[in-house]
Formats: sequence, C-alpha cells, structure tokens
Amino acid sequence: MSMLSRTHWLRNMTLFQRLTLSVRALLTLLLSLPVLAGLVGVVLPAFGYFPALDAHHFTLSVFAQLFAIDGMGKMALLSFFTGLLATIISVASAFLLLAVFYRSSYLNKLQTWLSPLLVLPHAAAAIALLFVLSPSGFFSSIVTNVSNILSSIGLSEATSVGGASVLLPPTWAFPYDSYGISIIIALALKELPFVFLMAVSVMSQPHVKRKFDGYFNSATALGYSPVTLFFKVIFPIVYPQVRLPILAVLAYATANVEIPLLLGPNNPPTLAVAVVQWFNHVDLSMRFRASAAALLQVAVTLAAISVWIMGEKVAKHAQIRFYSNGHRHTGKTLSDIVAYGVVALYTLLIVSIIISTLLWSFATFWQFPAVLPKGLTLLHWQTTLAALAEPFNNTVLLAVLVSGFSVIVATLALEAETFSGNNGPKSKPSPFFNGGAGALLSLTLFLPLLVPGVAFLYGLVWFQLAYFNEAVWFHLFISHLVYVLPYVFISLAVAYRKFDPRYIQVAYGMGKSPWQVFLKIKLPLLFAPMLVAFALGLAISFSQYLPTLLSTGGRIATVTTEAVAAASGSSARLTAVYVIVQMLMPLLGFVLAWWLPTICFNPMGRYTLLQTRKSKL
Amino acid sequence: MTLKLDKVSLFRYTDTLLSLDEVINPGEVLSIMGPSGSGKSTLLNAIAGQLTAPFSMTGSIYINDRCIDDMPAHKRGVGVLYQDPLLFEHMTVGQNIVFALPSSALNRAQREQRVSEMLAEVGLNDLQHRPVQTLSGGQQARIALLRTLAAAPSVVLLDEPFSKLDAATKTQMRTWVFGQLKVRGLPTLLVTHDSEDVEAAQGHLIEIETC
Repeated sequence: MSMLSRTHWLRNMTLFQRLTLSVRALLTLLLSLPVLAGLVGVVLPAFGYFPALDAHHFTLSVFAQLFAIDGMGKMALLSFFTGLLATIISVASAFLLLAVFYRSSYLNKLQTWLSPLLVLPHAAAAIALLFVLSPSGFFSSIVTNVSNILSSIGLSEATSVGGASVLLPPTWAFPYDSYGISIIIALALKELPFVFLMAVSVMSQPHVKRKFDGYFNSATALGYSPVTLFFKVIFPIVYPQVRLPILAVLAYATANVEIPLLLGPNNPPTLAVAVVQWFNHVDLSMRFRASAAALLQVAVTLAAISVWIMGEKVAKHAQIRFYSNGHRHTGKTLSDIVAYGVVALYTLLIVSIIISTLLWSFATFWQFPAVLPKGLTLLHWQTTLAALAEPFNNTVLLAVLVSGFSVIVATLALEAETFSGNNGPKSKPSPFFNGGAGALLSLTLFLPLLVPGVAFLYGLVWFQLAYFNEAVWFHLFISHLVYVLPYVFISLAVAYRKFDPRYIQVAYGMGKSPWQVFLKIKLPLLFAPMLVAFALGLAISFSQYLPTLLSTGGRIATVTTEAVAAASGSSARLTAVYVIVQMLMPLLGFVLAWWLPTICFNPMGRYTLLQTRKSKL
Repeated sequence: MTLKLDKVSLFRYTDTLLSLDEVINPGEVLSIMGPSGSGKSTLLNAIAGQLTAPFSMTGSIYINDRCIDDMPAHKRGVGVLYQDPLLFEHMTVGQNIVFALPSSALNRAQREQRVSEMLAEVGLNDLQHRPVQTLSGGQQARIALLRTLAAAPSVVLLDEPFSKLDAATKTQMRTWVFGQLKVRGLPTLLVTHDSEDVEAAQGHLIEIETC
C-alpha cells in the first residue's frame, strides 16, 4: 500500500514540487561529496599513496614516522583536552545561564548581547583577547596602575622588588602557555554564545514554549524553585535537541586552527596547527606526514566525541536518582553565582575589548603600562583600508555568492518538506529536520561541522588540484559552501517550519499552484528570516580562515586571512583595525536584514509613514 | 454545485475517526459538531486535499459529480475560512482580493474595478488601500470571506469561523456569511463547537460522538 501511495503521490506533483525535491537531494550531495572526497584525498597519502610525488605503494610507514616524532603525543593530548574542557565549560555555563535567566526579562537582553559574538570570527575573537589579556594588555596595565597607585599611597606592600619592576609587564599564563589554558578560555568564551543561542532557539518554538510554561506553573505549585525545575524537567527535554550542535562544537573545538595558532603554545603546538604547518611546508614530502596527522586529528576528535557520549550515558544513570530525590532547591545558589559571574565576565570582556581595540586602532605612541595612548591618529585606518580594498572586495563577492546560493538551496529544500515531510507513519519530527529522509539530511548538515576541517579540506584541495587546477574561485566557493549552507539551512528552517500552513490552504483554495504560493505568499512573508539567514551566511563566510587559505593556496586574500597574517606579524595598531573591520562586516549584513523588511513587502510600514506625515502637516 | 461525500471514512493510523455518507446541495450548509480530536479538521483537510500522515481516507469525494480524490489541492476549488482571517500581511486589503480573483480575461484595471465593486457592495470601499493590520477583527473577517468568494470556489469549508469574534460581531457575521453563501448557491461544510452557529446555518447537523 505504501509503495502504491508513494508513486501516486509523485505523479500528482507539479514541476515546481519535483524541482524542490531534486534540490533537497542536491543539498545532501553538496554537503557530503566534498567532505567524503576530501577524506579520501587525505587517506591515500596517509597510507603512502601519492602519485604526484611518485609514491604508488600503500604502506604504514608514514604512520610509524609520525608517531616517532618528538612531542606527537603531547600535540594530540593538547588538542583533545583543550577541545573537551572548553566544550564542557561552555555547555555547562550556557545551560546555567538558561536555568537562571529563562523566563526572566534578561533573556532577551542576553540574546541581543550574545548574538554578535556568534558571528564574530574566531580569529578576531582570539586577537581581541590578546589585546586585553596579554601581559602587556589592557587588564594588565590597569592592574599595574592600580597597584602602583596603591603602593604609592602606602596601601599595599606588594611592590617589594622596587620601582623599576612595575614598569615591566607581569608574566602570567596568557597567552602561549604550554598547557593550552589560553586556548580553553578563548574557545569556551567563543562557543558559549553558540550553545546558548541554539538552546534558546529550540526553547522559543511556540509549542515548546507553551509546554514549558505549563511545566513551570505546575512544578512551582509543587514547591520547586525554577532553577531546580530547569535541571530536572527542562534540561532533559532540551538537551537531546541541541545535542548535534553541541557535538559539532566539540568537534570544532578539538580541531580549530585560528585560536591555537594565535593564542596557543608553539613547541609543540596543537595537532591541528601542526597539520597546517606540515601541509604548508615547502618540502612537499611533508604531505605524507601531514595527511597521516590529519587522520590522527580525526581520531582525536572521534575520541573526544566518544568520551562525551560516555559522559552522557553516565549522566543519564545518575539523573534518575536526581529526578526522584524530591529536593526542590538543588543547585540554586551555585547556579546564581555562576550565571551572574558569567554575565559579569562577558560584560567586562566585551567593554574592554571594544575600548582597547578602538584605542589601538587610533593610537600613536602607547607604551606599557600607560592606560591611554599618547595621542590619536587616523594613519592606521588609512594604511589598512587602502591595503584592505582588494581583500575586502574578494571577501564580500565570495560571501554574497556563497550565502545567496545557500539561501536559494535551503529555501527550496525546505519547501520540499512542506509536502513531502511527514509522509510516513514512522516519521518523527525533530528540531532540524522533518520526515523520514530527515535523519540523513540532519547527518549531512552536520557532517562538515563534525569532520575536522584540517582533515577533509586538504584532501579536497588535492582532488581539486588534480582535476580542476585553475578554477580557484570554484574551489573557494565549495570550501565555503560546506560551512555556510548548514548554518543558513538551520537558521531558515526555524522560520520556514513555523509558517502557518493555513495560509497555503487559503491560497490553494484560490486555485494558486504550489509555485505561485511559494513565489507570491511564502517568499514575501518569509522575507525577513530569509535575509537573516543570508546575513548569517555572509558572517560565516567572512569568518572562514582555513578553507580560504587552503583552497586557494594563498592566491586569494580575504579580510580574515589578512587579519591573521597581521596578528602574527606587524603592529598591534594595524591588527586592531583589522579586528574592527572584521567585527563591523557581519553587523552590516544584519543591519540590512533588519532594515530591508521594513521597506519591502510591507504596506504597513508605508502606511505608518504616511500617517505620521499627515499628522505633522 | 454540490459536494458529495461517498462512504467517506477517515483513519488515524488504523483507528476509524468518523464515517460519512452525505450530499450537500447548492446553497446548503452541513454542520458538524464534535469534541476536539474527533476528526473534524481531518475531514476538512481531506476535502481540501491536504490529508497528511498519519491520517488516511477511504471512499470518494465528488464536487459537481466529479471525483476529486486524485486532484491536487490547488485544482479542487475548495475555499476555506478559518477562525483567523489569515489575510496576507504583505498586501493591502484590495491586493488580497485581487490576488484571489481567477486569472481570467479581465485586465488589470477591470480587476481593480471588480474589487472596488465587491467592497462597495458590502460598504467597505474605503478599506481598499489600507494595510490589513489596521482593520478591526470584524472587518478582517469580512474581507476574508470576500477574498474567499472572489476566487469563485465550488465548495466552501468553514472551520470554526466565528469563534474568535466578540459577541456582537459574531451575530452580525453569522447572518451575513450564511446569507452570502446562500445567494451564491455554494455548498458549505461547517465545523464548529458553537450550537448557535448551527442554528444560524439552518441546515443538517451531524454530531460526532466521543469514542
């Protein structure tokens, strides 16, 4: 019966509906093919097969050589622990924040303030932290000045070494500490907003919110404090829905390159950084070692994910007793302290990052431990903006192409769901997909986020060089697309699936075809969320470092690659300008996404404008 | 115009929700009352061509003696009025109605003209260029019906259409809506919780019992 009804169902579809189904299949291919091809391109050299370097025989010697390298184990452990700890910290604090602030008026404010951090490139975040936390940074100079003042008025006896020592920056762990603590701090700070906002988006779906409000009312009546209730009732429901994004965060954290490159130790670096260094080595034979190390990176990431999943199992056992112990105020004080502490920390960091990068970008002479520079100048802005013109154009052109294409693909794939979704009794809706084919889609969406970039991107480059060497922009496009498309899809899916299906029936009742309904009803009504998805896509593309560097072999510069180059080289002043440009670029996209819907497809906007003009006359 | 439900049974998975064998003649209203979850909305979806899993149907539905079981939703000519007016907010009142007019020989100016006439007939011509958000609940409900009628449907389905209106507007709207449907000779299926709706509809009533 089901086969029969299925063919029947296909026959009854319009051309447009069939097109959307093909796009949905295309989406799966676009995300999985580059990743899988990339992995093949790394596996072959790792086992000694690399025809371009005249190596045609499979061997395990590459791995043997890799493990013989001094400090190899430390590199792997560094990647493993920094990623795992940063994820634990960010997930724990994100849920503590939610426990304390869900249903409070601060939730919206937190969302507003954490959202820009979501789109802040990792590279920019790392550079910004360098500005405020390094031994000669903003905090350090303030601390030094305060202690100077205190000692000069005799309140402190700390400066026992003498007057000269206080003029030198103090030495502390940040950055470049060999335990990777700086990496953990930076990753945790950067990933917390992502986990938090993902959970908020799940919890603010109308049907979920209604259900939770009911739970809160009934459990409060039983005498549970909201925080305890959150961990006993809400968390077990929300967690499974944000599990994939959290695993993606974990995978990303164990394999990230920008943050350890800018803040991590050098000797040895984290595994991912080492992989990049070996791949970029002038000696091409290092490619073998790099490929093997890239596979080791996959193993490290898998190990971290396995440990996480084991942790989930243990927690699941423990939680059964936790639910039924009847305690009504467990963890309330602790949660309050941590949550307010996290908010205070973010406020402090954001404010000081803004002040210090702005000051650096205009500073003339600024020596430690002066709190302010000697004077201000526009020189760094002039120099940098002139140098940035070409990278800026590249960045914007690429981002618009990639994000625009992603929005089109995601919209059509989501449109396919509106008539193909839930078409079997077994289909079970979930936050990221609907319908029977949803499980596959969900996995492919997260595939590029779960497989370490250092592993598949190099393999992809290898394939591309072998078969379409000259199409640099095409390579760049694909390598950005695998990162942009998933986010655009997830962002758009929330709004698209919330769209009231009765509008569609109303239009069908007028004899409008699915294509007309899509074009004349859905697109205009979903214009705002589509622009937000587009802006998010721009931001993700702007922030890509590794994909840009690898797929072009440095032939095309973007703002982010230039910023990382500047941070590891020249002056703090120029770097500050880069960071500010990096912060502003995604914001412009979002301002556009906020402004355009007020003037397009909005008779109400024009009407209000006319009414105010009339009342003024 | 007629709507014929020929031995129609509706199922959720394998449980039978309801079974009907009815003919609704031109200008007649068939009312269906029953508790939530009794399959009322499922019946409307089945007629509109929007039946999705886990629901299924046996039997056949005919509009004007033509079987529509295999017809896609947008070709059935089934107009639906819901409890919310569901006016398209990216269009003005006039644009909402123009959008509904069948794409026939009328040119643009004639279509505009037709909309003005329709609005004037019910004394709402000053609303034509207003954004829909500026209308009162009662005005929105009227425009929603005008829009449904503008599309010249073969059948109209009413899904608790008055439940969100205030008491005074409700009485007015009932008389007006059923009057309009009768004048046009449309077969109508009404799903409701409110026995006053049924009285105003002046047709058959089918009450679905709880299982």
